[in-house]
Amino acid sequence: MKSYRMAWRNLWRNRRRTLITVASVFFAVLFALLMRSLQLGSYDHMFRNVIESYTGYIQVQNQDFWDDKIIDNVFDFTPELGNLIMEDPNANEIVPRLESFALASSGQVTKGVMVLGIDPEKEAFLSDVRSKLVRYRITEENVNGIKNSDIPDKIKKSLDIFIGNSYTSKTGLILDLGINKDDTATVLPIVEKFTRFANGFISKGIPEALIGNKLSIYLKAAIGDTLVLIGQGYHGTTAAGKYRISGIVKLPTPDIDNKVVYLPVDICQELYNAEGMLTSLAISIKDNHDKEIDRMISSLGLKIVPPMRVIGWREMNKLMINQMDADNKSGIVMIAILYMVIAFGIFGTVLMMTAERRREFGVLVAIGMQKTKLASVVVLEMIYVGMIGIAAGIAVSLPAIMYGFYHPIRLSRELAKMYEDYGLEPIMTFMPPDTYFFWQVVVISAIVIIAVIYPVRKIFKTETVISLKA
Amino acid sequence: MIWKIAWKNIWRNPVRSFVVIGSVTVGVFAGVFAIAFMNGMISQRVESAIDEEISHIQVTGKGFNLNNDPQITIPDISHTLSILDTVKGIRGYVERTIISGMASTASKSAGVQIVGINPAEDQKIFSLNKTIIEGTGGYFTKESKFNLALIGQDLAKELNIIRFLIDSAALSELVKEGVPDRILNKVSRFSGERFKNEKNFDKRMNDILLKEEISEYGQKIKRAAWSFREGSKLTLTFLDKDNNQVGAVFRLTGIYDTRNSIFEMSTIFVKNSDLKRLTGMNEKSFHQVILRLTDVDQTEAVTSELMDILPGLDVSNWKELQPDLAMMTDYVHEIYAFFMAIILAALAFGIVNTMLMVVLERTRELGMLAAIGMNRKKVFSMIMLESVFLSLIGGVTGMALGWIIVHLTARNGINFAQYAEGMEAFGYSAHVYPEIGADFFIMIAVMIILTGILSSVYPALKALKLNPIEAIRTE
Repeated sequence: MKSYRMAWRNLWRNRRRTLITVASVFFAVLFALLMRSLQLGSYDHMFRNVIESYTGYIQVQNQDFWDDKIIDNVFDFTPELGNLIMEDPNANEIVPRLESFALASSGQVTKGVMVLGIDPEKEAFLSDVRSKLVRYRITEENVNGIKNSDIPDKIKKSLDIFIGNSYTSKTGLILDLGINKDDTATVLPIVEKFTRFANGFISKGIPEALIGNKLSIYLKAAIGDTLVLIGQGYHGTTAAGKYRISGIVKLPTPDIDNKVVYLPVDICQELYNAEGMLTSLAISIKDNHDKEIDRMISSLGLKIVPPMRVIGWREMNKLMINQMDADNKSGIVMIAILYMVIAFGIFGTVLMMTAERRREFGVLVAIGMQKTKLASVVVLEMIYVGMIGIAAGIAVSLPAIMYGFYHPIRLSRELAKMYEDYGLEPIMTFMPPDTYFFWQVVVISAIVIIAVIYPVRKIFKTETVISLKA
Repeated sequence: MIWKIAWKNIWRNPVRSFVVIGSVTVGVFAGVFAIAFMNGMISQRVESAIDEEISHIQVTGKGFNLNNDPQITIPDISHTLSILDTVKGIRGYVERTIISGMASTASKSAGVQIVGINPAEDQKIFSLNKTIIEGTGGYFTKESKFNLALIGQDLAKELNIIRFLIDSAALSELVKEGVPDRILNKVSRFSGERFKNEKNFDKRMNDILLKEEISEYGQKIKRAAWSFREGSKLTLTFLDKDNNQVGAVFRLTGIYDTRNSIFEMSTIFVKNSDLKRLTGMNEKSFHQVILRLTDVDQTEAVTSELMDILPGLDVSNWKELQPDLAMMTDYVHEIYAFFMAIILAALAFGIVNTMLMVVLERTRELGMLAAIGMNRKKVFSMIMLESVFLSLIGGVTGMALGWIIVHLTARNGINFAQYAEGMEAFGYSAHVYPEIGADFFIMIAVMIILTGILSSVYPALKALKLNPIEAIRTE
């Protein structure tokens, strides 16, 4: 008989033990996969929030700007520089920015803010600011309006909870209020009618500003109000200006939402007395694979000369990468503990199996079975156990992960508040299958291989006569 | 009797028992240590939040916390304070002035909260004076005719107030630290050079030192080279009581390090008297009264009492001001229990398998015992006790080991310096002192016993199902 068939049949000679061992592997794999998926998914989501919708993968900056973010560290944006960047086959569009700090006041309230001069149209290639305009806002007045209309009580209740919240799309509104599919047609138009938020955008040449949702609440500022900015301009000049607030945006990162003011880039240059200057050029790219980005960084690095330099996403997001790394390591430690415990369980099983079958091994060797073949049967048995456990773990976790990937968990109340306090978007996303699946297989295989060393050694040491008597 | 039999049974196959005991030991030890680590991290965070940042309870004018409107002060402060004097459980209080503004040096500026304090009184409530970095001055200790400001380490870095310099003093300090000559030679190559910020310094170190050398001596070199401009100046810009913009030059009295980047970046302390003079505010008007309680468990009781007797003011406690910390301290036991439950569940598989083996191996013996009149209840409890003994021996060893290691590591703490930047951005120190309470061990012990009982149910039921006559006949 072939070894693999023999091993398979041996497994089911003690069905209960096999199943329990398989179950332990299954449990560890299931837990590890779900946890990893959730962890990696959140990192991925954070990356998308920050990199794909803000810093971009590659920027050109004044060489001192990153370490010293002051308005004096700017560079002249010439058409030649633009052409040089666009020559790269991977460059899609260049997004000019002038970034600085100012004191903003509206009415009586003042706050230090981050002023971002952007090209309203080109910015759509990276941080699509237009899509972040607040479209719906639940306020006390409009809640009273909705309550007088004919809508389910459940939704009236959730309206009270979400007073003060703003939404950039219908989806968020539907999810928070818990409007189900059947009600959408009847309820949604009523809710939309009352909560709709009239919002405008900015365009070049017009002295208008967009401000973050949280900042607008802090400043008690509404559309049409005047925003006064005071700060330090280029080469020590005074920067001061008055702008009409034309729109309110809600950004996914609360920390930025609380301090961002967008101006059209030319208006911003005027404010800081920096005609034609920029602090950074973010580059929108076509292919975002690591290799291609690294190639582009080094190729542009050769062409771009001081006072400018090329800076990549890793350097721009060091802090975030550091945090993710720390969190990632702690997750790995947790899973390592779990696997260590499972490894003991597997070793225990192997030990019992070996003790129980000493006589059988002796007989098989006595009637002429080669020790190598016998050993390979035992090894195969344990590999089967590991593989069935992994397969079962994947089979159960995969649907859950895929569901979670398409339907991210939105946190609510205290937990959401906690996330926001840490500057994170209160959302939990899963990571679709990736190399982390592969690692579970590697770890379980390694455990199995280490565990079978014991019986294999026993087999090779088998002294037929002695073990027959066992 | 049953107890004795169960105990002796365990040692009939010591190797097998040791595998189970070993797995429980390792699992429980790892769990205890991981939890002590988390616990240490969280309680350090809570401690520093209360001791250095927010204290237990804050009383402010109505609506002040919304956007720190400087016009909202506490009306009739002396009346409020006299009321506070009558409340039990308050260890002390201080008044503070809070103004939003901008801090700038010649090269940089940042938005900050300027907190006016009375240093002598404030140190009775907060232990910020203990976090002053050595060599940067003191906690308003020196009298000065200038305006004085105390700022955080991260803000000092941001504003380029801290710089790095390899001079003879730094080199001799490195010699004292036992840094080998070959490193000293390399480092002394850039002696006399000044680095405006940490990043430039790091860059230069990367150029001249090898990776392994940096990971071994980098922190020491940085500490030695770290220097701070004595009497550095910074300009604070803010609005006065009539909403006119004023700017004033402040000299640094010292730099504090609370290991919380957000707090360090955003909070500057100045003397109340200086702030009052510059804003033109009344001597007797304050934005905030901060209370310290004798017992943290009294927080909720005192908060609601204050809400009743101070109707015109906002009263908020640390749990409301830092909901993330409140949530963590409230749910911390559930989180630990969940963590432990996962590990114990994984362990249970191994125990079930072993106990099943025990039952099958002793079919004949169990049959015999039943035949000579041992009742089913006793058989059941014998198996269950064996399982509980196995898990408890492992559990107690694991807990003891965990306790010892926790105490050994707590002496000097565990420092994850490479993650300091990321963790401090969330307010957590990367230098963790693991810590664990006795109540936690009781919880674990109960959970372990439960695991032992639960994982013996299936094998014990198997034993009960045996037919004594058939069982005796099996070989």
